[in-house]
Amino acid sequence: MPGPDFEAVVASYYEPLYRFAISLTRSEADACDLAQQTFYMWATKGHQLRDQSKVKSWLFTTLHRSFLESRRSETRFPHSELNEMDADLPVIAPAGARKLDAMQAVEALGKVDEVYRAPVALFYLEDWSYQEIADILEVPIGTVKSRMARGLAQLKLIFAGRSPARNQPGGPHE
Amino acid sequence: MNSREAMEILKLFRPGTADEQDAAFDEARQMAKSDAELGRWFEQHCESTRALRQKFQTIPVPPGLKEQILSERKIRRPVFQRYWGAMLAAAAIVALLLGIQQEFGPLHFQPTGYPTYQKRMTEAVLRGYYMDWRGQDPDRLRAHLKARNAPANYTLPDGLKSTPVVGCAVLKWQGSNVSLICFKSGRPLEPGAQSDVWLFVVDRNAFGEAPAAAPEFKRVNKATTANWSDAGHIYLLAAVADNDFLQKYLQ
Repeated sequence: MPGPDFEAVVASYYEPLYRFAISLTRSEADACDLAQQTFYMWATKGHQLRDQSKVKSWLFTTLHRSFLESRRSETRFPHSELNEMDADLPVIAPAGARKLDAMQAVEALGKVDEVYRAPVALFYLEDWSYQEIADILEVPIGTVKSRMARGLAQLKLIFAGRSPARNQPGGPHE
Repeated sequence: MNSREAMEILKLFRPGTADEQDAAFDEARQMAKSDAELGRWFEQHCESTRALRQKFQTIPVPPGLKEQILSERKIRRPVFQRYWGAMLAAAAIVALLLGIQQEFGPLHFQPTGYPTYQKRMTEAVLRGYYMDWRGQDPDRLRAHLKARNAPANYTLPDGLKSTPVVGCAVLKWQGSNVSLICFKSGRPLEPGAQSDVWLFVVDRNAFGEAPAAAPEFKRVNKATTANWSDAGHIYLLAAVADNDFLQKYLQ
């Protein structure tokens, strides 16, 4: 059975895919590149996908892989360690969340450690279940939850105007 | 489960999503109904999560991105996919010509000279193109071109030396590698565009007749081109602009 038409796939998913990309990169140019690269890979390899209902998650997985590959040669990010008090932080005040604009939210997410950024982006952007997010990010569901919890806690600190304390580069974090 | 453990679980709950049906949250949600303090915290969590999700889901997408994705696919599709029908027809014509040649003697073909190159290269960037290296460092750009056996020891006029580069690509012209260097003039860019001034550099030996050392201007489609050569290379500078605009890059 033929797969979905390329133009239809682009029309359906380029916006959510771009939003995921900019949540990871914070740069419009890099996000456009990642989205373009992902659709190029879809054009060349998408036919190998047997279950056509998985097109969207295939695109997100591919974009995330490309993002990680593009970062592989760079210095490992220092990972933040949250202390016990930070873990008890209250949620972001709803009034404060409403006042933000979308790009301020992206800016704040860009300050979250890279390893936690993708799970947090998917937490806010999409409706996938945790198992689906785990499949997209290609990590166990427990790791997704742990990274998401830490990333959300960092985000709360950032919204509160505090920087997460950082460990030495490459230090353990999970 | 105590209320602290319930809170830890509920921190990952997203209202209005698959989490509503996720059994992993059931017990903690039940507890939020019976524990007033936890209930208030959970209500606030849901409200702020909803607000933030709404913000992230309305991140503006650059206009023209969709068109850029669609046009790049056309450029990057392998030649055999795009033209396989035409290639079959071409093969049939070649076979026919070989037959004629055998019957009536050698045929003479029109050489594909510089004007054709000038037209094809300019039209390629007007249609849309893909930079295979992006960055602002001219030295790294040259290194990338050199690594791909494309012209890299070119000489730029001062006007271009002071213009920011945004990336480059390596193209082919009849067996010769062509360096495409993309610059940004500072004018507002078309939606989805990354650059608006393009320089093509090819080896001087790629053509029997090369442009003169002093730039010659030629209109190609909606672009203006400036064409010149030095001892080692032939240069083709293109932009959607007039002669005066290009002239400032040639000084």
